[in-house]
Amino acid sequence: MESKRKWACASALTVTMLLSACGGGGPGSSGGDFTGDKLVLAVLNDQSGIYKDASGPNSVKAVKMAVADYQNKYGDKAVVTKIEVTSTDHQNKPDIANTKAAELYERGGADVILDVPTSSAALAVANQAKNHKKLFLDVSAATTALTGAQCNKYTFQWAYNTYLLANGTGATVTRNGGKKWTIIYPDYEFGQNMTKSFTDAVTKAGGTVQETIPTPFPNENFATFLTKAGSGNPDVIGTMQAGGDLINLVKQFNESGLKDKGVELAVGLMLINDIHSLGVEQFAGTLFTDPWYWNQDPEARAWADRFLAETGARPSFEHAGNYSAALQYLEAVQAAGTDDADKVVANLEGKKVNDVFLRNGEIRATDHSVVHDANLARVKKPADVKEDWDYEEIVAKIPAAEGFPPAEASGCSMKP
Amino acid sequence: MTQSVITQAPADGADVAVAASNPRLRWILLAAGLVAALALPWFVYPPVAMDIVALALFAIALDILLGYTGLLSFGHAAFWGSSAYVTGLIATHYGLPFPVAVIGGAVFAMILALPIGYVSVRRSGIYFAMVTLAFAQMVYFIGYQWSDLTGGENGLQGVPRSFFGIEAVETDSFYFYYAALPILLFGMWAAWRIVHSPFGRVLVSIRDNAPRARALGYEVDKYKAVAFVLSAGLTGLAGGVFAISHGFVALTELHWTTSGDVVLMTVLGGIGTLWGGIVGAFLTVMLADYLASSGFHGIDLITGSVFVLVVLLFRRGVWGTVRHQWNSRRRRRTTSGEGTGR
Amino acid sequence: MSAVVQYAVQGLAAGSFYALAALGLAVIFGVLGVVNFAHGAFYMLGAVATAVLLDTLDLTLWWSLLVVPVLMFGFGVVVELLLVQWLLRLDPLYNLLLTFGLTLVLVELVKQRYGVSGLPYRLPGGLQGRVDLSGVVLPRYQLFVLLFSVAVCVLVWLVMTRTRIGMIVRAATEKPELARALGINVGRWVTPVFGFGVALAGLAGVLAAPFRAITAEMGNNFAIILFAVVVIGGLGSIVGAVVAGFLVGLVEAFGQAYAPTFAQILIFVLMALVILIRPAGLFGRQEATT
Repeated sequence: MESKRKWACASALTVTMLLSACGGGGPGSSGGDFTGDKLVLAVLNDQSGIYKDASGPNSVKAVKMAVADYQNKYGDKAVVTKIEVTSTDHQNKPDIANTKAAELYERGGADVILDVPTSSAALAVANQAKNHKKLFLDVSAATTALTGAQCNKYTFQWAYNTYLLANGTGATVTRNGGKKWTIIYPDYEFGQNMTKSFTDAVTKAGGTVQETIPTPFPNENFATFLTKAGSGNPDVIGTMQAGGDLINLVKQFNESGLKDKGVELAVGLMLINDIHSLGVEQFAGTLFTDPWYWNQDPEARAWADRFLAETGARPSFEHAGNYSAALQYLEAVQAAGTDDADKVVANLEGKKVNDVFLRNGEIRATDHSVVHDANLARVKKPADVKEDWDYEEIVAKIPAAEGFPPAEASGCSMKP
Repeated sequence: MTQSVITQAPADGADVAVAASNPRLRWILLAAGLVAALALPWFVYPPVAMDIVALALFAIALDILLGYTGLLSFGHAAFWGSSAYVTGLIATHYGLPFPVAVIGGAVFAMILALPIGYVSVRRSGIYFAMVTLAFAQMVYFIGYQWSDLTGGENGLQGVPRSFFGIEAVETDSFYFYYAALPILLFGMWAAWRIVHSPFGRVLVSIRDNAPRARALGYEVDKYKAVAFVLSAGLTGLAGGVFAISHGFVALTELHWTTSGDVVLMTVLGGIGTLWGGIVGAFLTVMLADYLASSGFHGIDLITGSVFVLVVLLFRRGVWGTVRHQWNSRRRRRTTSGEGTGR
Repeated sequence: MSAVVQYAVQGLAAGSFYALAALGLAVIFGVLGVVNFAHGAFYMLGAVATAVLLDTLDLTLWWSLLVVPVLMFGFGVVVELLLVQWLLRLDPLYNLLLTFGLTLVLVELVKQRYGVSGLPYRLPGGLQGRVDLSGVVLPRYQLFVLLFSVAVCVLVWLVMTRTRIGMIVRAATEKPELARALGINVGRWVTPVFGFGVALAGLAGVLAAPFRAITAEMGNNFAIILFAVVVIGGLGSIVGAVVAGFLVGLVEAFGQAYAPTFAQILIFVLMALVILIRPAGLFGRQEATT
């Protein structure tokens, strides 16, 4: 008796649940040139894991700065008045990035997704952008696949890629006299690609890579690898490790005595935040490619001052890249007069740009790689540091044409 | 050292007896569960709903070992992840309908579980946990390094969702949910059948007292190994659906943290209850989903603390506690129960 | 030839981190029957504490080697009294789960407080530079780590064999039935022993600070290799943990030198072989297979 009543109750409840759900599930209103009469910029990145400092919450602030600048510039003439910036944490997990990207496009009203570090996450989001025909401007992921084999019409890679890192550092260091190289790399996709690119760049510049040494990942103990690398008496040891492994390697390199023998250490991927949290003395003398440095010229510095006031830290190139991507997106929306993705893409493609971040920048139409001048940097000695975050000395400029792969070689085909 | 395993898990025998005395209650529960599963994507973003159900089956598969055999596997990511990869590869290279690919993944997971299970079940308790963890790390490193096949840390991208040319299912995650749900429900039904079969009763007797089971003539290791392989197979079903639902496979699926997450779900929901896995998966996924856009960063702080509290104070888990309360109330009313007592 | 010697010494130096931490793990397991999943997190805390003490109180490595283990001992005692002890009478799996949850919390707390990029640490001047041992050139610090760890292991061994407390602990670890039969009250040693094990993990962390990246995640992978170490050595064996620690260090170093791609898998292959051939580990009691 009692259970029968419960059963009836349960089924009544279910029916109401279903009805209410049906009622709530209509598509969002669409009117005018902007869906929902507003523009939504969604920053999707790692706000809690290892990329938090390099990009993370401060990239959201950088994007908000771009929105403010756009609104100040156009005032009443802005084609859209309501602009929202949302922030989502992908926790450095590609499956969360994937689901959240789809949800942002479908339900969050996102017109563009920005940032997305971690290659696997970025590639998944690029796929979502393609399926949803909405924009994705990637800033923090390094894989060339985004503008190569897995490129698509709606995805742009704004700041850098593995080719730039390898070519910038590899070619420039070789030309400056570091002819004999040994490369230590983590034995996975990123490390293998970087090593291939480095080897090409070094060889083309007239040097030789005498040995490439794969290492496990993650790895704490690099003593054996350094011993091995040192036995060939190279001019330069190139390391492709990143994050904690890079710090492990640098600490152990400093103790190995190779530095005293005049062996230089060139790093594949390093961010200013790595130097900041570990102190310059650990990294002093290390060479690496920095796509953008906050103190590289007065314009960058002026923006970095604003950023400092906003966040309490100097920007990494990823922060500046996010600012630039958001700003150029807004400019393209302004020019197109709509948030329609196809029209915005048409406005972005082929555009030559100079802004806080981009020097001699071009948004290439063929592969959607945003190319620009970058820097080869050397970490300063502690004695040369004049203020907080003053860590880098720019050794050479890397022109856009040299740093980025030629568009024909990217292997990208935009056909849907 | 303590002899028996998971002694504080709800005394399943007693609870089952009560439930069996009231089959109608079981049917109501089942019907409610089914309705909830069908209604879920109306309330939750469909891909998230799919995650919940897939992880629920994962937790249930783990519970077959943890709750009913007394073996804590800390390496089930190996089966979840490898099935995801195999499913993805089949779908990508052969373009087969996704259920076929998922079955392929599950079969692979079972094949992989054979040698791992064979070695691992020689040890129980703590040892078993550590050994399975170590094996899973091996599988993880292989996945990392075999990047020609797995795409390395970039993952296996662009896994197609092929389903007999029915476009709604292939493109809309809402319809895909309903197409994939039967596979997962089948997995849950299979788990229920395994647990309530004579085979399952032997497993429970092994859990409660392995030497006695051995004395009774059961080949304990063989039973454990079969349970291990079956659990891996169901895990594989879940992992395969997860891969198709996301359209790609990432290395995190093989990482030990995935193994840890599912243990967490199972314990949170309640060990040895099957239903607990569903509750645990629902709570965990919804929490992660909520926190992703909440502005609070530090999900591990919450999950870790909740986990510690559950282990310290509510070892029956959410479902186990509810069921225990319900059963003891009933028993008190009918005065027919002998009372398990605490 | 000199390369082989060099690899061997480097392997032993890497192994000393495992040996110290595994020793702590083994003692805790022996007396409490707890597999401490949080051991990697305690190792991490040791390293983080070392960096923080240098930064705030200007405590050099020498002081940290003394102070941090004491702090970690205290922390271990708190963890034992607050959390671990309530589950001791239950299945040991519950404490494994508890310490797993604790690991998540500790790692996340350090991340929130000290960031994700890691903390800086400088090597004290006296330990910088290299030592030339007839053609084999080694960083002085590596040699120091090796000698220091061996000294600590020997010291622990002396305490275990020569003192009353040590013998009680050892009896409880290696022959628990016998200890109970002799009426030795192990109970009152449980809390300090847990603290002692945690202190050893912390000590390994102090030694790691100048030489390795100090990040919240540094203990995660370390913990898993530690599990392999104690399985290889035999869970209940103190000698086994130390020997297996150095052995795994050697396997790692030679694996890295001659088969780098497989270096990390090798450890787990070794573990699987040990389980197949000697299920209770190299030094474990073979009759006990649960």
